Amino acid sequence: MYQALITRRYLTSKVMPLLASLAVVLCTAMVLITWSVMGGFLNSLLSTGRTMIGDVTINWPNRGFAHYDDLVARLEADPMIAAAAPVIETAGTLTLPDDRVELVLVKGVDPESFARVTRYAETIWWKPLAEPMPKDGEREDIRLNPSFQFDDGVGNRRVDWNEVERQGLTLSRVDPETGAPEPALVMGLNVSELNRRKIWGGYVPTYPQRQLADGSVEDVPAFLPVNGEVILSVAPFDSKGRVVDMVTRSIPVANEFNTGVWDVDSRTVLVRLDLLQQMLGMDRARRVEQGDPREAFAPYWDEAAQRWVFTPPDVVVEDPPRVTSVLVRAHDPDLDPEVLKAQCRIIYGGFVAAHAGEVPVASRIRVNSWADLNRVMIAAVKKETSLVLFIFSFISLTAVFLVLAIFWSMVSERTREIGVLRALGASGLGVASLWLSYGLVIGFVGSALGLALAFVIVHNINPIHEWLGSALGIVIWDPAIYVFTRIPSEVDPVHAAMVFVAGVVSCVVGALIPAVRAARMDPVAALRFE
Amino acid sequence: MTTPLLQARDVSKTYRLGRVDVPVLRGASIEVGRGEWVAVLGSSGSGKSTLLHILGGLDRPDRGRRLDPRERAAEIAFEGRSLTSASKRELDRYRRSSVGFVFQFYHLMPELTVLENVVISAMIRRGLGYATRAREARARAKELLDSVGLAHRLRHRPRELSGGERQRVALARALINDPAVLLADEPTGNLDRATGEQVLGQLAEIRRSRGLTMVMVTHDRNVAERADRTVRLVDGRVAADASM
Repeated sequence: MYQALITRRYLTSKVMPLLASLAVVLCTAMVLITWSVMGGFLNSLLSTGRTMIGDVTINWPNRGFAHYDDLVARLEADPMIAAAAPVIETAGTLTLPDDRVELVLVKGVDPESFARVTRYAETIWWKPLAEPMPKDGEREDIRLNPSFQFDDGVGNRRVDWNEVERQGLTLSRVDPETGAPEPALVMGLNVSELNRRKIWGGYVPTYPQRQLADGSVEDVPAFLPVNGEVILSVAPFDSKGRVVDMVTRSIPVANEFNTGVWDVDSRTVLVRLDLLQQMLGMDRARRVEQGDPREAFAPYWDEAAQRWVFTPPDVVVEDPPRVTSVLVRAHDPDLDPEVLKAQCRIIYGGFVAAHAGEVPVASRIRVNSWADLNRVMIAAVKKETSLVLFIFSFISLTAVFLVLAIFWSMVSERTREIGVLRALGASGLGVASLWLSYGLVIGFVGSALGLALAFVIVHNINPIHEWLGSALGIVIWDPAIYVFTRIPSEVDPVHAAMVFVAGVVSCVVGALIPAVRAARMDPVAALRFE
Repeated sequence: MTTPLLQARDVSKTYRLGRVDVPVLRGASIEVGRGEWVAVLGSSGSGKSTLLHILGGLDRPDRGRRLDPRERAAEIAFEGRSLTSASKRELDRYRRSSVGFVFQFYHLMPELTVLENVVISAMIRRGLGYATRAREARARAKELLDSVGLAHRLRHRPRELSGGERQRVALARALINDPAVLLADEPTGNLDRATGEQVLGQLAEIRRSRGLTMVMVTHDRNVAERADRTVRLVDGRVAADASM
């Protein structure tokens, strides 16, 4: 009981213990902020899979495989699987309105099935917005303005956000001349480099600039999702992997998407699956082949050559359309990807049996989860997280020694008071527990304040970071390096609890040696201490 | 003769200062009867404070070898029970429940208020059980502080009090657990004569009204004269034991 009273009085009357507490505040906050950001980084990296590819991708990165409709139907018939979508992935170049040429990853998707497997619809950026983004206090976001206009060179042109969103969802845009829908392209928000990121987390578009022959520069009056057009070039391969001929096509821009993953948003473009199949020669096609000599052997007399010809006659075969991948999403978002992968392999086995000779055999097909596809990066982040945590926890050990030093000097300073307590009948254990409980309270207060500090900093880490960048020119989080355009800003309650306990325990450990020293003091010597 | 309340026999104590052994007590013996007021008189360094600490269970007599076979082992007894062989826990309990200390330099806790300085003694005595008796203990502390004239000072810190007032707080602290014996180490040694007289008067009054046993160490003959009996310590031995 007396321990509680004295602890309370010591806490409110001395500066030293507050310094110890402050050290604990800083250490716990530092560790928790690091853990939250790095852990959040890892979590976003893992969860991005569902935004981008669903849970698992079945992939044959060559000429692709045919009869994918059957595979999709078989996959979707499985109770474990919610949806599947055929996709083509290939490399290409994109020529932007400012004549810049960028190397891009081109994905041919069927918008409807793609949106069912991934979170594509959520990632579409240009769409009507009813509520401003959380940090957009000034309502600067142009998407909030239903009558937003821009100068398209002819006059002011109103943007119909609903129409722009629909364009994104269907990957098509209405041709202003014919009034008919034509295939259009949706690209990552950072591909064009024309969208300027603002401190409140959104983007404002800018006009592209083009250099003229005389060396001057002019603005191109284009807002991509309304009147922007790009040139897409892709390379079809033949069955031997040789490029047949580059195919180039001018395509209007329908919209832009934002997954938050820099790597994806800066180099991915989406087009309609049928368009890309057509460009790559992967659509339904008639092909002339030599017939089987055993079935149709009919030698004939060639008049011109004046000889018998023994070549079997040509036959016309129809090639079904092909894709390079099928994306799969499970019903249960927490399903172990390994289980899903195994199930996909079984289903693919059945598919191969039904189309023997026409599709790649099961052993050659690749079935990967998002984590598999990014295992190097994920492993690097995991290692980096544990390394940084280890280093910071080690640094936090200084708090233990600080508490030890401060308590040691306090015990020296209060030697006589310890003697008095002993004279009043306090036991050595009682005196030790006084100092331990004091350490406990310091740890409790310090850790609680440290947690609070960490919560505040982590929840506002992006504005703080933006402010550092604009005010002091310090950019710690470069999206090009750290993959994500936003710094993760969630605190895991389990991590917070662990840091809290560690903070309290550290203080008690730091107080332990001074407490033992106080307990072992000779009461008479303590009383006589000057 | 009835058993004395507190008894010390052949107590020796040697302190080690650096490499030198300094004998402080060399076979001192004293008996204190129930309700008796004994003054221990001696010059500084005569071992009187050490004797008081040993009587109060704060310190233990030497257990060293007896060079002279006629010499008996040191023995401290309270109410006939030996404290010499008591465990640390038993000595803690003895100090908590049977002894009240008053020191020359008051030894109050600077961060605690006057009231808390008194109550803390009850907290130490009762341990966790204090929670159920807190109200009672505070009332008793207020009553004691009132009896020494400090009812208006309850919320003050020791530094705001005069020397005499501080010593009266220390007195209240020593009494809150109703000890059987009060051990006072030069209680007026740090006070001017008038204040010392006043505190001494209060001590005498309290002792009389409660029938308290009291051992008071002093070097002041005038102070010693007020006691029932004076024991004179010279060079660690009792030189004279005279009833006044």
